[in-house]
Amino acid sequence: MTGNLLLGGGLTAALATMAICFAQKIPSARLVKIIALISAAFITAASLLLWILIFENDFSVEYVATYSSTTLPTIYKISAFWAGQQGSFLLWLMIHAIIGAVLTFRRTSAAALGIYFLLQSVLVFLVLVKSPFAEHSAQVFEGVGLNPLLQDFWMAIHPPIIFVGYALLAVPFALSLGSLLTEAASRNWLEEARKWTLLAWSFLGAGIFIGGYWAYKVLGWGGYWGWDPVENSSLVPWILAAVLLHLINLARKKSAVLAQAHVAATFTYSLVIYGTFLTRSGILGDFSVHSFAGSNIGMVIALVNALVLIGGLVIILVKAKQFPQGELYKSYGESSFIVLLSCLLMIFIATIVWIGMSMPLLTQLVGQAAAVDSDFYVKSTAPIALTLAVLMIYTFVKFGRMISLGGKIAHVGFLAMLAAIVISAQGETVTQELQTRAKVSIAGHEVIYEGQVFQEDERQKFYVYNVDGEIVKALTKLRGNGEDAAREPAILKNFSGDIYIAPHAPKIDSVQELMLTKKLFAMDGEFGYVFEDAHIDYDEHNQPIQATAEITITDGEIEEVIHPLITVTPDGGSSKSIEVFNGKRRVRLTGISGDLDKARLEILPTYEKLSAMPITATISTKPFIWLLWLSVTAICIGTMLAIKS
Amino acid sequence: MRGIFLIILLVGFVAYAGLNLAESVTPYVSIAEARATSNGVQVKGLLDKNFEPVQTSDEFNFSLKDEVTGETMRVKFDGIKPDQFDEAYHIVAVGKYDAADETFHAKKLLIKCPSKYEGQKPQA
Repeated sequence: MTGNLLLGGGLTAALATMAICFAQKIPSARLVKIIALISAAFITAASLLLWILIFENDFSVEYVATYSSTTLPTIYKISAFWAGQQGSFLLWLMIHAIIGAVLTFRRTSAAALGIYFLLQSVLVFLVLVKSPFAEHSAQVFEGVGLNPLLQDFWMAIHPPIIFVGYALLAVPFALSLGSLLTEAASRNWLEEARKWTLLAWSFLGAGIFIGGYWAYKVLGWGGYWGWDPVENSSLVPWILAAVLLHLINLARKKSAVLAQAHVAATFTYSLVIYGTFLTRSGILGDFSVHSFAGSNIGMVIALVNALVLIGGLVIILVKAKQFPQGELYKSYGESSFIVLLSCLLMIFIATIVWIGMSMPLLTQLVGQAAAVDSDFYVKSTAPIALTLAVLMIYTFVKFGRMISLGGKIAHVGFLAMLAAIVISAQGETVTQELQTRAKVSIAGHEVIYEGQVFQEDERQKFYVYNVDGEIVKALTKLRGNGEDAAREPAILKNFSGDIYIAPHAPKIDSVQELMLTKKLFAMDGEFGYVFEDAHIDYDEHNQPIQATAEITITDGEIEEVIHPLITVTPDGGSSKSIEVFNGKRRVRLTGISGDLDKARLEILPTYEKLSAMPITATISTKPFIWLLWLSVTAICIGTMLAIKS
Repeated sequence: MRGIFLIILLVGFVAYAGLNLAESVTPYVSIAEARATSNGVQVKGLLDKNFEPVQTSDEFNFSLKDEVTGETMRVKFDGIKPDQFDEAYHIVAVGKYDAADETFHAKKLLIKCPSKYEGQKPQA
């Protein structure tokens, strides 16, 4: 409730900023700064509130109960903020609002500020439509917790960096439209837009690369890019922002390119919104591995998208007559021509990715839904990317001295990235079932599977391998109920590249379930069980908090008594597994009936048995993959350096 | 001259992208429709529990059941049983039907799991 009120305050102040900027020809700079700061303060306060709710384990808020838990480590409590859709939007909004406040302190035109704060108002509205502060219908005492896959340093920082990129791309869009509305022939906005676009490009790129690195080291399917709609939806604006960047640079020298720069600014930002629509509306439910629950927010985002794209294009068309005329290029050897041609090629690549990711949506409109193969992207974009690389090398040789240091680093980084993508894909791959101590030879390396190591707290285990004498471990995080939650690969890093070992899902013996009735004797093979007693603790609202049972287990001679405890979580909950008779049996309690008459006990495979089980693993080599990480770092750093020049 | 250059480039691109697209696009179809064509398609269904999936060293066989009609179809996948196959809610097989061995030859399997983290409602 308080959160929504704070957001309401942020919305009011954003609308006021917009109104002042649009209403008055030369608004009081001081007033604009103050209201913009108030809006940012309200929105930041709402964000801080969400963090406080997460840290206080306030599970009466549905978002907190869904993405956090009492046991979550501090760093992931911070990142639980953006684990779900509602929180991600709030994060995006907060970054947008802070950038907005910064803009009022730079010499930004009133019209551009008006557009920027219009966008800010729309974003607040989107957050309010699906608020992270919504209350929970039921009372719980433990949250579901953050998806173990997301409990990784890189995944913790990936979303904020992506959203900084998205939020920053609103600046060139606002500057472009602001300039069109007041002095369409002016090129004064270009210098400021150049800096912001470089910053945006660098952040969005870094976000995409970090996402790829995370996929490589955590997901274990062996790659860093899967052409999934969620990935594509950030790639398209990034490519278009590169086009925008080059057109802005060219337009500063050649007035005839001004129109193209305006068009690029509109398309870039509208593709940011489009990507959000595609991935957050649930429309791709059947086609993406990231299946988001469908929601009414889809229509709202579609409307915003239409507003940005159609609004931008209409204004450009209306003002088109005022654009300066001139020559785009004199000869085909000229640098302007090469840059324009490169932009066209980048637009081609963006179009291919756009068509691919939109295919399910486009085909649904005309009839039968269809999707494209991921081969489509590689096959179609590779020749274009190659041509782009050739053009880039040509430009370097011929016009190298005209390119700034940052620009040089970024372009060399880009060429190195293309090379690394090709080289790292030339490795070998073997998929094989491995007994403990089994040996596999691959590309001159020897891999020995050493077995599994279980950790006491049952939250993780390791598959241990010996690669050329070095021990590497593949971490598998386990859910509260003992199932695999995140199966990470083991990676041995070498100068010649990585040896990448990804375990597959283990063969799970069917878990035996015993339904025990109070005081009645039940058997499982050589062991007998008696459910003696149980106790459920309720809160003041008569909701269960935790449940304990007393169960006697006997092998016919000796009796052992266990007291498994279940803490109630949104997904029900089960006790930790308990070993009896020196590890000969492992059991856990998964439920107690409300009348305390029945208890459900699971007989789990023993650790000894689990450790000796053969596993299937895919072992591959990734030649010189470090070049990929190095080159993308160069792209981001070079781009940052270019801001100063 | 310049206009012509641009038009040639654009037409070339559209033809190129269109051809690639026509090759790669795989419509979502029912099992009955998949049987009727030898083109690449995607079929979504449930695991047919009456047929125990078999994994040999290099291929994985199972039976897919149409959610609506209940019709079943044998699927052969050249590879290892995907992770989470056993927990799958929906299975999407991408490939083409071969009338000769009455089997769907999948080159890719997509597994849709009931998400444990999205939209879950608490229970007492």
